[in-house]
Amino acid sequence: MPPFEKILLKNMETPGYTGSLADYEHAGGYQAWRKVLGKVSPAEITETVKKSGLRGRGGAGFPTGVKWGFLPKDYQGSKYLCCNADESEPGTFKDRQLIERDPHQMIEGILIACYAIGVETAYIYIRGEFVLGAQILERALAEARTAGYVGQNILGAGTSINIWVHRGAGAYICGEETALLESLEGKRGLPRVKPPFPATHGLYNKPTVVNNVETLANLPHIMNRGAEWFAAIGSPPKSSGTRIFCVSGHVKRPGNFEVPMGTTLRELIFEHAGGMRSDKPLKAIIPGGASAPFFTPEHLDVKLDFESVAQAGSMLGSGGVTVMEEGTSMVWAALRLMEFFYHESCGKCTPCREGSSWLVQTMRRIVDGRGRKSDLETLVELCQNIAGRTVCAFGDAEVAPIMSTLKYWRHEYEELIQQAAATAPVELMMPAMGKH
Amino acid sequence: MLKEKYKAEIEHILSRYPVRRSAVLPLLYLAQKEEGYVSETAMKEIAGILRLTPPQVYEVVTFYTMFQLKPVGTFHIQVCKSLMCALVGSDTLLRWLKTRLGIGPGETTIDKLFTISTVECLASCGTGPMMQINDDYYEGVTESKVDRILADLKRDGTSSLKSGPFMLPEPMKS
Amino acid sequence: MSVETVEVTIDGQKLMVPKGTLVIEAARQAGVMIPHFCYHPKLKPDANCRMCLVEIEKVPKLQTSCSTPVSNGMVVRTATTVVNDAHKSVLEFILANHPLDCPVCDQGGRCDLQDFSHQYTPTTSRFIEIKRIFQKEYFSPLIEKEMNRCVQCLRCVRYCDEVMDVKALAPVGRGTMTEIKHFGTHELDCEFCGGCVQICPVGAITSRLSMYEFRPWMLKRADTICTYCGDGCRITVQAKNNQLIEVNSAHGVGRNNGDLCPRGFFGYHVSTHPDRITQPMIRRNGQLMTATWEEALEYVAETCIALKLKHGPQAFAGLITSRCTNEDLYVFQKFMRLVIGTNNIDSSARYGQITGVRALRRVQGTPRWTVTFEDLVAANALLLVGTNVTETNPITGLKIKEAVKKHGASLVTIEPLVPAVGKISNIANLSTHDFPGRPDRFGAMVLALIKAVMDERLVDAELAQRAPAYVKAIGDALHAISWEVLEAETDRASAAWRDAARVFAAAKRAVIVVGQGVLRHPGGLDITTNLLDLLLLTGHHGRPGCGLATLAEENNDQGAVEMGAVAEFLPGPSDVTDRHARERLAGLWKEELPQGTGRTLTGILEEAKKGAVKAVYIVGENPVGSLPPSSGAKEALQQCEFVICQELFMTETAALAHVVFPASSYAEKEGTFTNTEGLVQPVRQAIDTVGESRPDWEILSALSVLMGYPIEYGDAKEIFKEIRSVIPGYALLGPVPTPPRPDVAVITQYVQSGYAEDVTNRYRLPGEGRGAKGERNEQSFTLVLSQSLFHSGKFSTRAKGLLDVEADGRLALNGTDASKLNITEGDRVRLFNDRGEMTTTVTLRDRLPDGLVTFPEHFDEQALALMPLTVDDRTGVPYYRAARVRIEKARGNGQKVTTYSAASSPSPLASGLESPEETR
Ligand SMILES: Cc1cc2nc3c(=O)[nH]c(=O)nc-3n(C[C@H](O)[C@H](O)[C@H](O)COP(=O)(O)O)c2cc1C
Ligand code: SF4
Ligand code: FES
Repeated sequence: MPPFEKILLKNMETPGYTGSLADYEHAGGYQAWRKVLGKVSPAEITETVKKSGLRGRGGAGFPTGVKWGFLPKDYQGSKYLCCNADESEPGTFKDRQLIERDPHQMIEGILIACYAIGVETAYIYIRGEFVLGAQILERALAEARTAGYVGQNILGAGTSINIWVHRGAGAYICGEETALLESLEGKRGLPRVKPPFPATHGLYNKPTVVNNVETLANLPHIMNRGAEWFAAIGSPPKSSGTRIFCVSGHVKRPGNFEVPMGTTLRELIFEHAGGMRSDKPLKAIIPGGASAPFFTPEHLDVKLDFESVAQAGSMLGSGGVTVMEEGTSMVWAALRLMEFFYHESCGKCTPCREGSSWLVQTMRRIVDGRGRKSDLETLVELCQNIAGRTVCAFGDAEVAPIMSTLKYWRHEYEELIQQAAATAPVELMMPAMGKH
Repeated sequence: MLKEKYKAEIEHILSRYPVRRSAVLPLLYLAQKEEGYVSETAMKEIAGILRLTPPQVYEVVTFYTMFQLKPVGTFHIQVCKSLMCALVGSDTLLRWLKTRLGIGPGETTIDKLFTISTVECLASCGTGPMMQINDDYYEGVTESKVDRILADLKRDGTSSLKSGPFMLPEPMKS
Repeated sequence: MSVETVEVTIDGQKLMVPKGTLVIEAARQAGVMIPHFCYHPKLKPDANCRMCLVEIEKVPKLQTSCSTPVSNGMVVRTATTVVNDAHKSVLEFILANHPLDCPVCDQGGRCDLQDFSHQYTPTTSRFIEIKRIFQKEYFSPLIEKEMNRCVQCLRCVRYCDEVMDVKALAPVGRGTMTEIKHFGTHELDCEFCGGCVQICPVGAITSRLSMYEFRPWMLKRADTICTYCGDGCRITVQAKNNQLIEVNSAHGVGRNNGDLCPRGFFGYHVSTHPDRITQPMIRRNGQLMTATWEEALEYVAETCIALKLKHGPQAFAGLITSRCTNEDLYVFQKFMRLVIGTNNIDSSARYGQITGVRALRRVQGTPRWTVTFEDLVAANALLLVGTNVTETNPITGLKIKEAVKKHGASLVTIEPLVPAVGKISNIANLSTHDFPGRPDRFGAMVLALIKAVMDERLVDAELAQRAPAYVKAIGDALHAISWEVLEAETDRASAAWRDAARVFAAAKRAVIVVGQGVLRHPGGLDITTNLLDLLLLTGHHGRPGCGLATLAEENNDQGAVEMGAVAEFLPGPSDVTDRHARERLAGLWKEELPQGTGRTLTGILEEAKKGAVKAVYIVGENPVGSLPPSSGAKEALQQCEFVICQELFMTETAALAHVVFPASSYAEKEGTFTNTEGLVQPVRQAIDTVGESRPDWEILSALSVLMGYPIEYGDAKEIFKEIRSVIPGYALLGPVPTPPRPDVAVITQYVQSGYAEDVTNRYRLPGEGRGAKGERNEQSFTLVLSQSLFHSGKFSTRAKGLLDVEADGRLALNGTDASKLNITEGDRVRLFNDRGEMTTTVTLRDRLPDGLVTFPEHFDEQALALMPLTVDDRTGVPYYRAARVRIEKARGNGQKVTTYSAASSPSPLASGLESPEETR
């Protein structure tokens, strides 16, 4: 097997690469755009993307080409593309790197997508906290406009595409595609009831595609090197290409690692991320961001592709891999995530809104040593009553931490409940800061 | 009045959207940049510009965590408390800030210089613990780093320790 | 148009429903009630409460029936254990944070949450955490908020936006702590339609007027009709110990379909107001003294007989308010015509309604709308002229909002409104073609629109060859008016008019709505007739769903005309001069009818001044209070030998009377009202008569007996029976009016020759050459007496709830004019012209066009002094609602007084004021 060559992080990992237009072009940037613009038909591009087997990197993993195909055919009037750069899933920080280190790569991806689906206006919805990222994007867009890659009558080919940066303002839910659209329309970011789907009734009620940064960043490479090339990478047919995994937690070398899908957790954690940071053995892994159920060391050999992770009872999600060492309280960990979900529930759906506050309060009691035997029963039932009964997938996500920790580490809950003495969470867990 | 001061900017913002209302977040950012928080006057003015009622602007402001309805300290320290940072010491970081500034989350120093808040994941889990101070990220912070950052801010209003474009991890020397 | 239907199975029942029907509605039709909170048929599905989950075959997850449309062959199950558990669990979640304060909750006993909890008998709560608590905050004088009870279905917020277009409510915050607020800590400032109170499924938003006063089951209910405007809303009046406790309106019934306005919802305290006159009164040496009914009735009967012998019947005249029931109005005119023997009869329909009736009868025969509210909602294009619909006829306004917001109708507005967001909704904001202007510009604007129709060749081909002369006459007349002049007069480019004309002409269903700004202003008759021309020219007239609708200001304006309570009409209405009609009526009444046409309102006052009219019988009318001093109404009545009043309150007019009878309000009697659409609706008694008061017809009937011409009835129903015999087909025709078809013969006559008599006059610029005059008038403002959303005539100024919102009159003008005058909100200003002056407080309203200032008619005692009075020689309508005035900061505002011209540059107070322009 030939040594694996990175696709998305290649440029930026070459020493001295700044992400400027010059650097990007020097590294072969915008060749794909020049190649397809006006020469390859939009339909063909969509076909190629379908063939490549590219699936969404935002969390749901929906086949990108197929999604594009849902747009109404020969529709008159405006359509929109939204690049989802809201990256807020705890444990995920890949889009931030793609944005800050190689903005033109994603811009070229956006251009290709717009061209393929006949869109003249695209918005990059970037989470508000990414102030630097937004500045970098604005600068890159300015460069791209002067270079004639973006704007009116691009490269004289008659196509016009405008790309605007739109900053969110602090709301995880705005990563959910319909909440994103609401937010972009200047409203509270509450997810919409689906159907209708954005493909037919999206931004301003017009046909709209929402794609993740990483998804879009793949497009130039697919256009350059062909569907077959991409389809062969990773573990085809269902999981082609690479994924950027964001490794965090108790490893020696946390960070983003681009590897072919199908790489095992073991390889990712112990080779790429340099293994555990101390002699404490590995205790738990979250394989796909806060919304993904926990894994145990038994799962180290699970292949990191959509199917395998799903079969093993979790999800690839956003690619955020969090590693926890022995000594980490799983109840405490679950509470931390539950607090996140409670804080971020938009409040639209009763089960999610009321359930998250109920769960958080119960978990706090348990962690504070005021738990009751009946609590575990209640926790499970509440989780079951939330999942699958809400407008958006947040409801399913928020129960993952409690459900999975209860599944593998129920005894930790029971011990806490038995402990008579009240022990505050800080005592329970007080990890020290590193010595960078 | 924003209209006078940022006329050109506001027009540019409006020009980006087919529907005026979409400009509400950008305009709110302008207002917050201007006054340090979003005042009622500002909300009324924005409502006027976008042909909304003030309640329609107000409901948006309160949905997003980044808008302040009251003034905050010159330096708004936002510590990520989500699990990934907690695993690598965000609670210790908070405790350290308390010993240094004497304030906890939600509090402001008497000199109005610092306000501390806890926030959820800011997408630098690989470089935790971290905090965002106003617009800047500070990653992989330690006790000593915190001390230097606070000193820098007091002295120069900024600190060289803030993160630049995403760096870590250093490429593997293979 | 036939709608496609699909088959759906619900809990085993098969049924056919229109495609797109929501599962929850299909279930309702199958008699299956699916529990829900956030769903409401009036609102777009939001599916946030998740209560209505059901099982749908072949769909893995449970689905919300409120947001899922049925598809053919769909199989729905609402009663499986899975569904039941889902409902139970959602309920458990809602109850987790819901307080157990039902005993003190005004919703108790009619609360969806209570009912569902009961239905699902949730086991004792597992919730042992701390309940969410919201900071209690004062919300508003009329609406109370208890957020701890809120189930966050957002029905209130959605209603306020989707239906009312007010957008005063905001869901504030995120997650469990989301709270319904107005703006910051400010108290609610909105239309106070009460919609949020009515639509809240729990007790989170309730009325303060009835707070803690009742338990639903203690209340005595009566379904009746609101008396505050011509829309004729169905209201349910609820009383306890003969006190009015609350008014509401059920979804799905009435022309208002459960929607109300502040007057209807909060304005009900008038009937039981302490100032009600409760006993008959007789003037004894200058003083009105209480008397017994016997005394008063006999005194009046004797005096009338004596005066009739001495001066003859034509020395009598009668005035009645259109707030009365059809029965009162009918008996009144019969009393005047038979017992007294005069046609000197008039009612408040004279103030404007008569204008519309006259135009409609002339052009299309029928005096009524040929459309209904349903047609407004279904219209593709609507043209509003001088309606101020939100304030004057709020529910008609909702129909228009629905047409535009829900069905995307085009809306052309010729209104005294510019688009601007404010605390109450502004129809101009929804307008697709808005033409703001002062009432004195409306005539020109309508001409511009018709000229555009001509120029754009939009005239109906069929009409063009059926009545070429008619079309040509109008065309020629308009040709004589240049676009230059029209563009100057209307402040709009011809292109804008052409666009509007095209849209209107192209519409399949087009309706024109004409309001008080036309009907009660000079030229009203001509403008209305021209608008009927417009309908004819574009070929809309007579087409299904098309027509011209004139808005009635008072609840029974239309009834007053149809009952013949006006000088020129007998019941029907048919002309008093119509021999055939007179004979028929005489036959039925077995009495001769008085000869000749009678005097109208102002005519009567003139005659009284001259001394020709010596006795005036007044029922609920208040000419002294309503007309400007220049009308000399007061002097006229003081001259009379005998003035009788039937009144609820001691009005300016009643104060002059020799005898005052205590009359019962609408809440205390039975009868019928005829709404602006021409729908006859039942009025039902809600409380016992206040004091010794009696229904107006009863008093008249009693007098008739004493005067020897008995007009007796057992009850209101008997009167209505007689009305039906007099006016064939006058009946309570169910919930929806069946509008009359235009009379083809009349139309033909009109387009063949009828139009000719005045076409050149009608197609002249109103007040030719005002252009030049207009320049001079740049110095001053047009003051218009306007209708407020919070009041109705002077009647409602006794309603506690409404006074809480609007307690006094304020001069409204837009910010630009204000800054020119360098005044601002709350400043005191002096208004004056050579007629008089007044001092008042300023309020800014950016929806008003430049140069137009308004003052609410409900508080116009002072303002009337500035108003010129002109009387339309054809309709007898008195115009007194517009005047040119100057405005200056009142002394005591600190700085020395200077006037500023509307044309920004300050000019010293000119000594010799130009004579304020007589409106036409
Ligand atoms: C609660 C929630 C949060 C989400 N957050 C993000 C996010 O931050 N970034 C993202 O790209 N997708 C996010 N998604 C997924 C989006 O809804 C959507 O599927 C995705 O952006 C589509 O792009 P893709 O097909 O390229 O993955 C989120 C979904 C949910 C339910
Ligand atoms: S106040 Fe009532 S109607 Fe409004 S959201 Fe709360 S529960 Fe629903
Ligand atoms: S009624 Fe369907 S979700 Fe609320």
